[in-house]
Amino acid sequence: MELTVSNVIEIKDYSWKYLNTSAPALENINLTIEEGSFVGIIGPNGSGKTTLAYSMDGLIPGQYNGIKKGTVSVFGKEVEDYERGELQRLVGVVFSDPEAQFTAMTVEDELVFGMENIGLSIAEIQERLDWVTELTQLGPLLEKPPYEISGGQKQRVALAAVLAMRPRVLILDEPTSMLDPMSRERIFNVLIRLKAEENNTIVVIEHSLEHLVRLAERMILLSNGALLLDDSTRNFFRQTEFLLEKNVHPPGVIGFFHELSRMGDYEGDPPLDVEEAHIRLQKVLQGGKKG
Amino acid sequence: MNKTLLGYVPNESPIYAVHPFVKLFFLLIVSLFPMFVESPEWNILLMVATIVLMWLSKVDMRTLKIYIPVAISMGSIILLSYTVMGGTHPEFELLARLGPVNFYWERVRDAIVVYFRVLPMIFTMVFFLSTSRERDIIVAMRSIKVPFVATYIFAMALRAAGMVLEDFQIVRQAEKARGYDPAGKSIPYKVRQYIMYMVPLFALSLRRSEEFTNALVARGYAFTGSASKIKRADYILTHYSFKYFDYLIIAVIAVSFIALLLFRYGFGAFATEESVLLSLLYQALH
Repeated sequence: MELTVSNVIEIKDYSWKYLNTSAPALENINLTIEEGSFVGIIGPNGSGKTTLAYSMDGLIPGQYNGIKKGTVSVFGKEVEDYERGELQRLVGVVFSDPEAQFTAMTVEDELVFGMENIGLSIAEIQERLDWVTELTQLGPLLEKPPYEISGGQKQRVALAAVLAMRPRVLILDEPTSMLDPMSRERIFNVLIRLKAEENNTIVVIEHSLEHLVRLAERMILLSNGALLLDDSTRNFFRQTEFLLEKNVHPPGVIGFFHELSRMGDYEGDPPLDVEEAHIRLQKVLQGGKKG
Repeated sequence: MNKTLLGYVPNESPIYAVHPFVKLFFLLIVSLFPMFVESPEWNILLMVATIVLMWLSKVDMRTLKIYIPVAISMGSIILLSYTVMGGTHPEFELLARLGPVNFYWERVRDAIVVYFRVLPMIFTMVFFLSTSRERDIIVAMRSIKVPFVATYIFAMALRAAGMVLEDFQIVRQAEKARGYDPAGKSIPYKVRQYIMYMVPLFALSLRRSEEFTNALVARGYAFTGSASKIKRADYILTHYSFKYFDYLIIAVIAVSFIALLLFRYGFGAFATEESVLLSLLYQALH
């Protein structure tokens, strides 16, 4: 039997310019995202990452005024062709500022709000609430007001609220930008479990590359509204020199092996995590240049 | 104590066993009681009863101190409005004259009646806010089938008020961090500074409303269109059920209100003429 992988998101010749701005936020983007894939999107501030996330969820052009060229299709249908509220059942977005996305008075209310909106029954809501509470370890916080908990907890609530709706595609827009390392770790631990257990299509826009490269199968670099690089994570970091030119600083282990390569002490693919780096470094120390 | 957007509520309280609707019913009906009662002693009694209820509900009584300046300033304003600015009434009984200002017994009496009508209303509201979390208010409204849109707009208003207060604190801290200290400055100067706060607050509010709208859309909420017609389950209400004592409390409040109306309009009770306190005051002033 032939296994086919379908594209959940297809973006063709897509450009978007916000009203009253001189330059387009995104220009001539061509991109496909396959079902079940884990994609990392990186780029400096103002490169169009959030605009891309909003375009994939229909917030653009739905909620914003601007000029659109090209097409953004989700599950084979243009985002504008979806009924109001329909696309959001398929694509969930977690925004960078958790505080701004809270719509309820307690954490529990926040988690169930989306599920009520999509018409789930009480039994289904209860089942999903139990699942998402366990996944994100929010049990002790359910009765608390969302504005009273810590930044890391807030972001877990925001993530859980979207996860509870069980969207087929999950987009996280800089979910850890306001978090300390411990809270960042917790968010990524949830993503690790999601990837392992749920097979969601996950798109993460993130500055914290250390965590992202361990999970993402594919990386995309945006800069000044243009898609500069789109490749498998390993191939992506083979082009570290190019990334550095674009002011993208790879994780420590990749940077270290890149420096070794420049000094002629290492030949081969950059390791993506510390475990891989350890094995390669042992080989280098044993006298072999190839890791 | 737990902080809410509206004040502080106790961590544990026997009042939490009562359905939120009962608390809202108490607020709405009992705060009407003073409207039909002229005798200050009855209104003082209601106020004392409300304070006892607060104590029984384990409300931190120290928080009541913050209402003392409100009570004093409100009383002063009422007294001044009725006496100094009460006008000339030849038909009233003159108590004293201070230059062009006449102090009439009827105006003093009315000021006292009004003041002791307002105080229990405020205490009823304080009792409600000191024992109800934001969710309680929403649950109370939804349990009597107030449409979701209405309750949600109310919740959003509470949430927005909370966000504006948080943003205001951030702006103030940012001002202080840059060396601004309002202590010892004149009132006009402070007023000008408050106007200055409004600019970043307004800009932040605009940004927050955009983010809030995006969050609502992203969670599949729609005010219009087919998505808005989906029959939504009310999960939160499953945590609350009416118990026999809830019905009992509602019945007691309703019967008390009906009895009050009956006594007031049927038998002329609670009128100023019936008031022992006003009678004693009249004698004292003469």
